[in-house]
Amino acid sequence: MPYLYGGTILRVDLTKGEIKTVPTDRYASKYVGARGTNARLLYEAVDASTDPLGPENIVCFGSGPLTGTTFPGCSRTDVMTKSPVTGLIGDCSFGGDWSAELKNAGWDHVVLEGKSPHPVYVYIRNDKVEIRDARPYWGLPNYEAQAKIRADLKNENYKIVSIGPAGENLVTYASVHSNIGNSGSRTGIGAVMGSKNCKAIVVRGTKGIAVADPDAFLEACGEAHMHIRGTEAYAEYHQIGLLADELAYVRCGIECGGDAHETAPSFDDKFEYSDFNKRYGYKRTGCMGCPVHCMEAYNVPDIGATIISCELYPQLGAELRNYDERLWYHMVMQCHKQGVDNTSVATILQWLMTLWELGIIDESITDGYRMEWGNAEAIEGTFWNIVNRKGFGDILAQGMRVAADYMDDMISLEARGGQSTYYHAMQVNNNPMYGIVGRFHGQALAYSVGRRSDLISDLDMTEFLIVSAPVYPIWDDATKQAYTEGEQAEGLRLGGTPEAADPEGYKGKAALVHDMGMTIGLPDTVGTCKWHTKFLYMYIDAPHYAKALTAGLGRAVSPEELVNASLRMRNLERALENKLGRRRENDTIPEKEFDKKVAHGYWKGKLGTSREGLERMKSEYYLIRGWDLQTGIPYKETLLEYGLDDVAADLASLGILPERTETDTVRAMKDPTLAYILMDEEEKRARAGGRAAGSGNGQKGAVETESAVSS
Amino acid sequence: MAESNSVVTTSPRSLDEGRQAIPEYRRLMVEPEKCTGCRTCELFCSLKNQGEVNPARSRIHVVRSQTDGVITTVPIVCQQCDDPLCMAMCPAGALSRNLETFAVVVDTDKCLGCRTCVEVCPFGAPSVDPRTGKSDKCDLCGGDPTCVKYCSQEAIKFVFAEEESMTRKRDMADKYLEHLRTSSARVV
Repeated sequence: MPYLYGGTILRVDLTKGEIKTVPTDRYASKYVGARGTNARLLYEAVDASTDPLGPENIVCFGSGPLTGTTFPGCSRTDVMTKSPVTGLIGDCSFGGDWSAELKNAGWDHVVLEGKSPHPVYVYIRNDKVEIRDARPYWGLPNYEAQAKIRADLKNENYKIVSIGPAGENLVTYASVHSNIGNSGSRTGIGAVMGSKNCKAIVVRGTKGIAVADPDAFLEACGEAHMHIRGTEAYAEYHQIGLLADELAYVRCGIECGGDAHETAPSFDDKFEYSDFNKRYGYKRTGCMGCPVHCMEAYNVPDIGATIISCELYPQLGAELRNYDERLWYHMVMQCHKQGVDNTSVATILQWLMTLWELGIIDESITDGYRMEWGNAEAIEGTFWNIVNRKGFGDILAQGMRVAADYMDDMISLEARGGQSTYYHAMQVNNNPMYGIVGRFHGQALAYSVGRRSDLISDLDMTEFLIVSAPVYPIWDDATKQAYTEGEQAEGLRLGGTPEAADPEGYKGKAALVHDMGMTIGLPDTVGTCKWHTKFLYMYIDAPHYAKALTAGLGRAVSPEELVNASLRMRNLERALENKLGRRRENDTIPEKEFDKKVAHGYWKGKLGTSREGLERMKSEYYLIRGWDLQTGIPYKETLLEYGLDDVAADLASLGILPERTETDTVRAMKDPTLAYILMDEEEKRARAGGRAAGSGNGQKGAVETESAVSS
Repeated sequence: MAESNSVVTTSPRSLDEGRQAIPEYRRLMVEPEKCTGCRTCELFCSLKNQGEVNPARSRIHVVRSQTDGVITTVPIVCQQCDDPLCMAMCPAGALSRNLETFAVVVDTDKCLGCRTCVEVCPFGAPSVDPRTGKSDKCDLCGGDPTCVKYCSQEAIKFVFAEEESMTRKRDMADKYLEHLRTSSARVV
């Protein structure tokens, strides 16, 4: 078994009932693992004609070289498929201990192909792999199904990832779920698994993960643990998780979504998360090998027990103006159990409530439910109709686009105020978004260019911190100031201008979003948790990964090599998305959100993203990435730089491969909205003393651009 | 550990002699209510002691239950009993007390792999390693337990007898003091 890897990729053909294996190294030498290898596997399997819910689509579950090891945050599983929600890349990462178990069984990735004629689950115990009958478990919610499988196998040590009834019923935004509360929710991976009639993948592994130099590896991992435990952010997250963050985001107006946002009363007056935590939280918990423990375990009398963390707090609460904590808690738990994406459900309900408030829809469309803000009966009734595909819920289960077309057919254009109902849908490429983050400039860019039409991979945490610091619940003024100044320095370092860290500015935001995307790519390829990076101010970075990999693999791994792999992966993903149809015009926020001011909380009456501002940030971002300004497709030169020659050839054969020309740069130079990006380079370098090592592509892109202009 | 008279290889009776010689030992103290179930201890234990990362071969195990969504996690590790059944029952005399660390340690040359220690231990702490076929149990990493270093919850501590359950004693004392302070039956 090769060091740090299981060594083999498992391909399960559910149509033929065949098991095939591929050596991991064929992919890992170039793409490292996890999200990187998954992206390559998916690139080879799908194209624009692939039906996401057809047997030709594949689902890749993947671990990386540090998954399941002593490295902090070793718990992540990356899952990738062609999304039934967006028709583009569907990708999620979930924690727990599933992929660690998978690696201990000797497998790095599991790829599900084809479609089984009846419900099955994939059983893996070390080298033994079987496709087993899942009919006894079909229809069961996630918690119950997993408990029953473990009981039937008479072994509590099996790790299981499963789908709930929503996935079985092909609700397009269904999730996959592991343990209690480890959920891969976005972009409908559960529906793809459901379309393959695959209820679960059940794993037990006892083979271990080989390490080249155990002492040095232990030291490198120990250092990373202690590094995290020494950060200021850790002290907070370790004690209270993201309770304070989420409250701050609500208070500053980020996570109080869509039109609920316009008139919603101050949410924190209604519902204090930490108060709920005090009453019903019985334990902090977290994923394997993590010192942070960011999740809260709750047990509420007469409802039950589940885990809540992060965005799950505001979504089915604040965003629906639902201030009934018991209803909110019940709904979050049912999202876990039925296996459906919390964000999508919340955003779709919020959309209906907006349409109701505007008088566009009535009971004749909504199966008799009065979609008033916070209406318990409407929230719960619609939820169950979606999961069970009944009535209007059957339409909603197919996603916002289909539901909008249906409603547009039923309602006259006049009654719709001359707009499609889709105009009111908070979505990017049909992927329901959360909050009104589009009104914050950095997040508007992040949402637009995000690799799964979501902001969680390339985002602007500098902006998140600066806008939320003034209303952060537990910090004193000195802490607020220290954090803010730290992020302002980061903005100046990366963006080259103070405007980069100014919430009102546009300039330099692209550099911050790009840098975060690159940083997050590191844990995503090695298979650890992105929260430990600068994403949540714990600052695990390329040198930490490189040191551990060097000791574990027994060969020198440089931080630059990892950064390069992260950028290679991102360009590969972008090329795949372009191949599936994504272009510059798809990189956007909802039409309705342009020029809307924040209407609630600390930033009330301020900010708001203009169309011109967004286009400007996008151009800046493409220039840094090395993507064509007209189409948003990576230049041939960019793809070749990262060794993606065959991808370049593939795009060329489709006739969509752009080449970097002098004209592009000259055109950018003449374009008043773009010129400053190029002109500021001198100033940037003078100010920041050149980019810090590790932001390779940004610097290179800029240098090349400039030399092209001067020649 | 040098070959010296500090290793007692026979019966529990000689333990007392040892204790007179070295009166204080530190023990692993587990507080399950603090454990979040992250299994960092298992990962580090196996890396340190087996040279690979493999929770299945760890000498400490976090036993997890998630019935009805309620998560309980209890770390189980050798308690280094004062009068260990494993040591008394081992037919090969392979288990002995290391008087420097107070750990009950396995002499793999003597071990038969008969699983008697596994069967008699009330905690299920020892195991027979599938790789070596020999009994395998916590030896306190020679007096500096790795699991303790990396448990960020301090759910496993390495403490002298007087410090055992100190957190719980302190919690109880705080409750008591709070009661005295707030109840009508004031002491002052």
